[in-house]
Amino acid sequence: MWKKLSHLLKKDFRLMLSSKFVILALASLVLYSCYINFVYVNLDQEIYPVYLYDPQAKQTALSDYMTRVDTRDALESACADRYSVGIDLASDQPEFYMLASGIDTMDHYRTIWAKAVLNGNIKGQAEMIGTNSRSMKNRREITAEFLFFELSAVGFLGLASMLFKEKQMGVIRVHGILPVNKAVFILSKLLVFLLSDLVFTVFLTALNLGLRHGIAVLPAVLIQAGILSLIMALTGFFFAIRLPDFKQFSLLYLVIAIFVTTPVFLAGQTGVSWDWIVYHPMYHLFAALKAAYFSVSTVKTSYYVTCLGMVILLFLIAHQTLTREMSREG
Amino acid sequence: MIEVKNLTFSYGKDKQALHGLNFTVGDGEIFGFLGPNGSGKSTTQKILTGILRGHGGMVSLFGKDLRTVHTQDFFQQIGVLFEFPYLYTNLSALDNLHYFSSFYPSEQLRNAEELLDELEFKRDFRKKPVSSYSKGMRQRVSMARALISNPKLLFLDEPTSGLDPTGAVLFRRIIEKERQKGTTVFVTTHNMLDADLLCDRVAFIAGGNIVALDTPKNLKEQNSNRSIVFDYLYQGRREEQTILSQELKSGIPFAYDELISVHSQEPTLEDIFIQYAGRGLS
Repeated sequence: MWKKLSHLLKKDFRLMLSSKFVILALASLVLYSCYINFVYVNLDQEIYPVYLYDPQAKQTALSDYMTRVDTRDALESACADRYSVGIDLASDQPEFYMLASGIDTMDHYRTIWAKAVLNGNIKGQAEMIGTNSRSMKNRREITAEFLFFELSAVGFLGLASMLFKEKQMGVIRVHGILPVNKAVFILSKLLVFLLSDLVFTVFLTALNLGLRHGIAVLPAVLIQAGILSLIMALTGFFFAIRLPDFKQFSLLYLVIAIFVTTPVFLAGQTGVSWDWIVYHPMYHLFAALKAAYFSVSTVKTSYYVTCLGMVILLFLIAHQTLTREMSREG
Repeated sequence: MIEVKNLTFSYGKDKQALHGLNFTVGDGEIFGFLGPNGSGKSTTQKILTGILRGHGGMVSLFGKDLRTVHTQDFFQQIGVLFEFPYLYTNLSALDNLHYFSSFYPSEQLRNAEELLDELEFKRDFRKKPVSSYSKGMRQRVSMARALISNPKLLFLDEPTSGLDPTGAVLFRRIIEKERQKGTTVFVTTHNMLDADLLCDRVAFIAGGNIVALDTPKNLKEQNSNRSIVFDYLYQGRREEQTILSQELKSGIPFAYDELISVHSQEPTLEDIFIQYAGRGLS
């Protein structure tokens, strides 16, 4: 069996090299790394500027985060950007002036910040968790996102395009009469794509987290990447065998990208909150991958058991689909 | 080699493809399986090659019930040529042969280069990718793939399809050579010439039933009206006359100056098929 597997692996590896998959993976690696290192790592939200109108000079010590204006008109004019916050100390009670941003939560934070600046309570208010700098936090966060996208969408497409090529050449039918187990045929494809996904994971992590931080998280990240890679490869395998042509597969790919991956991104990365997201299997895979990048061990044993069950189930379905396809076409 | 008793197969409710086929194929025999599209020809071949499971009746190959044979051992003993040349187009002829042969025990294998020589495959193309080959060249590589494992039982689906007349003659010669080595050959074809020239016996299948089974010669004899057409010159005029063979016992029963041609009016296999099945082979 091992000898046969090695022949299949060699052939699949050659087929993968001859396709555009490697170029696509390399291009993704360069693109993601450039974006992370030159753009995302520097991204941060600007602090809300605070303007103070204090005609009676009640405020003696002025915070570095505060800018004094001379008139009420100047205060209103400074706050016209719907981002800054104004404090009017003309009356007994401070009056907070700002134009609504359109987002209630943001306006709430603006007020809290302005009060803190006015009262001088801007230090020691937040508890520090972990040792990540802003830059490292950004790196871990976006690397996890890109890796998730790469494995769930691009890797899925890679295996399917290879299978469609083999279907088009008709050689899958020939494998139906070769003295080789169909499970080995599937296993070979899985191993090739698992290996390529793991290599991609290593490079993406090392390039964007740095060698020291990268090596520290790699064991956990590789496990999560391996699980995601296997699940997506088997799903891609099933659909590539089941669907008659690549056009239909592309449509399915769009559906997966829009309806499967997007909610996970939104729930995981933005303020969007959906109660039902916990029933979305991809959300748990994304969360586990992200936790691995932040060295947080929140993943339970039940998660691994479910993943293992999923991989076995998908493998059996892929095997049955392949057998049916061979007898249909053969 | 092959024994089929009361073979039935259904693709689902009301979709019975085979209605109790019975036939045997002896060791070293070339057996032709002829039928139009949808007759059950491909279903039978898929069952015999172990691709399609769930048949009724009994199918025995190499003296063993197909249901009980170990699939890997079984596949090691058979070779299959598909109707279309299925090959890795990014690989060369030699790479394809090396890859497909890698799943068989090495002591069983034939030399890929020698096989391609035998199939008169151009030497300067052997290391070029299959994508640059003509259909005929691909068919030759496919034939080499089917033969490389030295199969004891060879299944050929439209073996001369896509070949020029020279290629077709070469393929028939190779198939005959395989038979001389003791290989049993099961040929599925529409090509009456192939069936006539190659097969020891042919079976006609229509609507999931075998409607006739015999040697091509017997089938033609049994269905012949035994008439003979003479084309001749008599008193400067060209004439044609059809007579029955028994009328020839006392010589040619008409006056003539010169015989131009004599044609026995044997039916072709296609004529016989139409006679039995009530429809053509296409």
